[in-house]
Amino acid sequence: MGVQLNLPGSPPARWPKFSSPLRSTALTARLGRILGICMGICFATGLLSHYQYQPWSWLPEPASPVWGYRLTQGLHVTTGIATIPLLLVKLWSVFPKLFQWPPAKSLLHGLERLSIALLVSSALVELVTGLFNVLNWYPWPWDFVPVHRFLAYVLIGSILLHIAVKLPDIKYGLGTKVAQGDVLTEIPWEQNPHAYSNSNDTHQPPPVTEGLSRRGLLVATGAGVGLVVATTVGQTVTPLSPIGLLAPRQYKKGLQRVPVNRTADQARVTELLDAVRAGNWQLSVKGAKPYTVSLDEILAMAPHEAHFPISCVEGWSVGVQWRGVRLLDIVRRAGGTEDSRVKVTSLEPRGSYNYSFVDGPQVSHALLATHINGDPLKDDHGYPLRLIAPDRAGVLNTKWLSMVEVL
Amino acid sequence: MRTRIAIGAAGILLGLFGLFRLFTEIPGADLIMLAVWLVAAVAIHDGLLSPIVVGVGAAISRFVPPRGRRYLQAGLIVAASVIVIALPLIHRQNTQPTSKGILQQNFGGNLTVLLGIIAAVALVLYAIHVARDGLAGRQRPSAANDLPSEDHSSSTR
Repeated sequence: MGVQLNLPGSPPARWPKFSSPLRSTALTARLGRILGICMGICFATGLLSHYQYQPWSWLPEPASPVWGYRLTQGLHVTTGIATIPLLLVKLWSVFPKLFQWPPAKSLLHGLERLSIALLVSSALVELVTGLFNVLNWYPWPWDFVPVHRFLAYVLIGSILLHIAVKLPDIKYGLGTKVAQGDVLTEIPWEQNPHAYSNSNDTHQPPPVTEGLSRRGLLVATGAGVGLVVATTVGQTVTPLSPIGLLAPRQYKKGLQRVPVNRTADQARVTELLDAVRAGNWQLSVKGAKPYTVSLDEILAMAPHEAHFPISCVEGWSVGVQWRGVRLLDIVRRAGGTEDSRVKVTSLEPRGSYNYSFVDGPQVSHALLATHINGDPLKDDHGYPLRLIAPDRAGVLNTKWLSMVEVL
Repeated sequence: MRTRIAIGAAGILLGLFGLFRLFTEIPGADLIMLAVWLVAAVAIHDGLLSPIVVGVGAAISRFVPPRGRRYLQAGLIVAASVIVIALPLIHRQNTQPTSKGILQQNFGGNLTVLLGIIAAVALVLYAIHVARDGLAGRQRPSAANDLPSEDHSSSTR
């Protein structure tokens, strides 16, 4: 950091200069406010989603509202997608600051600028990899989930640090009419005789913006973000599916009008399911009184119907009419109760989600489903039997069940 | 000042927590690739994307007359928002099994439709602006070609 002591007092010739009167602390503060709110929603709903996968034993996931995860994860992915254009506009609004001279006035200032680099890079990588995950696209070697999760802490931490550093600017920006704010250039305002005052100096006339005004820029950004949201959110707000021109998922195109996260082929259970069809399948139930039950016996039991959404971590969801037997009935017959902890296991030979635990209130509400929207489950939906519970991340509704353990 | 210190300290702690978990739980080879991605993201954004956007903005200011400029600028902002989301969708379309119900749209065609709508809206708003100017010009001949919002149109760039 001692290097900057030797830097010349003025930047090199041909150093970029910015003069667009569109850029202003007043504009950036407004963009930053909505961006911060979106990032906060993304972080909070992301934590809630993580909790689905690793809940504390003393605080099991609730069973109501049944649409809880549908809402929070829909928000997570929708705000994440909306944040991409928003972040790009926000970064455009402060691009001149990249060229401030000297690059660092002091060690502390240098560290602050490095934290901005971490903020920008983690925001870009977090949003891009999040979007790619929704598109089932993994052009990187690392495990997506833990990196997305830990990088989120780095991102939210650097946002908070950024807010702390910039709080006076934020107060000025939000307290100033957007048309009257300073002109943000590569020269810090206190050194720039041509910049508009940062202290609400009303003696200066407001900066003139030819063409688009600052307010117009905010409106256009809102329209762009709004259009992106309107054309993608149909993958979870199903009534908007018809206008989902950029929606990755369309429930109507899924098998039996329900999308699938992982097909039987991807899970390598196709041959095992042929054996099930040939009659070689029994659900093995373990507990104080272990037993086995055949598919015919399950189909002969009194059917229960439930309308639970299936809500994927990738941000799509759809309401589904399920039919099957109550998990609790199966558990009770093995000597368990509604307070039991239950593990369900799939025929799937490997994979991170070939089993899951059902705890707390979900035990009483879960179904072991045989039918989806009135039709028998097809292979990709978990034939012959799958778990479905309310307010539960999609992939935790284990498919192709082979065993239920009352723990 | 106390508020700023509290927010900043919370941020530093959360950030360090994230870094600690990354460094203790993610394999070294993956961390190196993650670092490459982090650096590349900033390099592509600051070194390629932003200069292009600034260049386009400067070209518009220079070559497009003020009356039409705002509609072009606003239209491009909306269009760019849609394009950044559509491009990866186009790249990924029809790559997954059909039963998943994912990426089965013609996103290139859909993007064309959206860009057409954006262009049409921008053109209509511009046409209304021109028509209003014409009307104002007839009522106030002296003010023809002199828009109220661009009275002081000396170059600020």
